[in-house]
Amino acid sequence: MVKIYSTPTCVYCNTLKEYLGKKNIPYQDIDVASNEKELEHMVAISGQMGVPVVDIDGDIVIGFDKEKIDQLLKINP
Amino acid sequence: MIYDLIIIGAGPAGISAAIYAARQKLNILMLSKDIGGQVAKKAVDIENYPGFDKISGLELVNLYKKQLEANDLEVTLDEVLSIEKPDKYFLVKTTSGKTYESISVVVTSGAESRLLNVPGEEEFSGKGVSYCSLCDGPVFKNKIVAVVGGGNNGFESALFLSNYVPKVYVLEYGATVNADKENQELVAKHKNIEIITNAKVVRIEGKAKPRTEATASSTGVFVESIIYEDLTTGEEKTLEVKGVFVEIGYLPSTSFVKDMAQLNDKQEIMFDHKNLETKTPGLFSAGDCNVSKYKQIVMASGEGAKAALSAYEYIKKQL
Repeated sequence: MVKIYSTPTCVYCNTLKEYLGKKNIPYQDIDVASNEKELEHMVAISGQMGVPVVDIDGDIVIGFDKEKIDQLLKINP
Repeated sequence: MIYDLIIIGAGPAGISAAIYAARQKLNILMLSKDIGGQVAKKAVDIENYPGFDKISGLELVNLYKKQLEANDLEVTLDEVLSIEKPDKYFLVKTTSGKTYESISVVVTSGAESRLLNVPGEEEFSGKGVSYCSLCDGPVFKNKIVAVVGGGNNGFESALFLSNYVPKVYVLEYGATVNADKENQELVAKHKNIEIITNAKVVRIEGKAKPRTEATASSTGVFVESIIYEDLTTGEEKTLEVKGVFVEIGYLPSTSFVKDMAQLNDKQEIMFDHKNLETKTPGLFSAGDCNVSKYKQIVMASGEGAKAALSAYEYIKKQL
C-alpha cells in the first residue's frame, strides 16, 4: 500500500503522483493541509514537517526521492 | 543511441528550449530532477508574464507539463552529475548511474535556494526549516513562523504563509527591505506580518516533542525558536517559532558543469551573447544558471528559445 502525504500547493507532490500514475502504481493521496489528524500522523511517522512524505508498506520516504521510491516499488527506471 | 540534443533542467528556460527544439524535429532528451524549476516554488501569483493577467506557479507548471507531453520528446526525471565531451559527442552522466550521449547540450539547470549557514539550519531541515513555503506552508497551520529574507521572495512567502498562520516574522539583515513597492504595500495590509530589519540570524534551536501515544514511534526534534542579533544594539533576541522559511536568494546549480564552461565568481555560466554558446562548442546555456543581472521567468524563457535555435544550427553542421 502506497500513501502519499501532500499539500495541494506542492508541485513536487504532483510530479510524484504523476510519476506513480505513469508507472501504474495505485496510491492513496492524503491532503495534510485539510486533515489535521493525518498531518499529526505524518509528522509522527516521518519526523518531518514537510511534504511529500511517502509511506510504502511502512517504509517512509522523505521528499520525492526517486531512487529510493524506484527501489522500494521495484520500478525499473 | 545518440540524441541530437540533451536539455538539462525543466524550468522556464528548459521548457522553452524543448518547445523550440521539438519544432525543429530534433531527437531530444530532457533530464531534470523536477519539472518547473523555481516556478514550482512561486508563493504568489505571477503577474508579469505576457498573456496572463495572473497565473499561479502551480498552474503554469501544469501548463508546462501539458506542453511537454504534446511535443515529441523524452522527459526523464534524473539528476545530472557530469558532462564530458571526449570526442565529437557529449556524455551526460546522472545519479541513477546512466550515461546519455548527444551531439549538443543545453544547460538550463537554474538555481537552488541559498542556505543561511547558521547552526541548526541543516539539523532542522524538514523539521521546521523549509525552503519551499508553497509546499510546506499549509503544514504549519496555526503556528507562528519566521521568514528569513526581506526581498521579493521573502515577502511573497510571508504573504502566502499569512493565510495559514497567526503570525509571520520577516527577518531582514539589511537596514531596509529589498522587496518591491507593490509587495511592500501588500504586506503592510496584513496585520499578522511583522518586518524586523537589521536582524542577523545567529542560530535555529529546537527540541524533541513530548512523546504521546500518537508520536510513540517518532524520533522527531523540531524547531522551537530562531535567534537573531539586533545589529543596531548588538543584542541577541529570540523569537518562538515552529517554522523558519529561508528566502535569501538563489545560487546557480552549475557544479556539474565543471570545466566545460567558464564560470564567474558567483558560479554563473559565462557565454557568447550572440548564441549562448559556452567555451565548449555545442554546449549552450540558458536561464538562471547564466550570468545575468535580472532573473525573470520571461528572460529565462527567451534564453531557452535562443539556446535551442543555436543548438539546432550547431547540430545541422555536425550531420
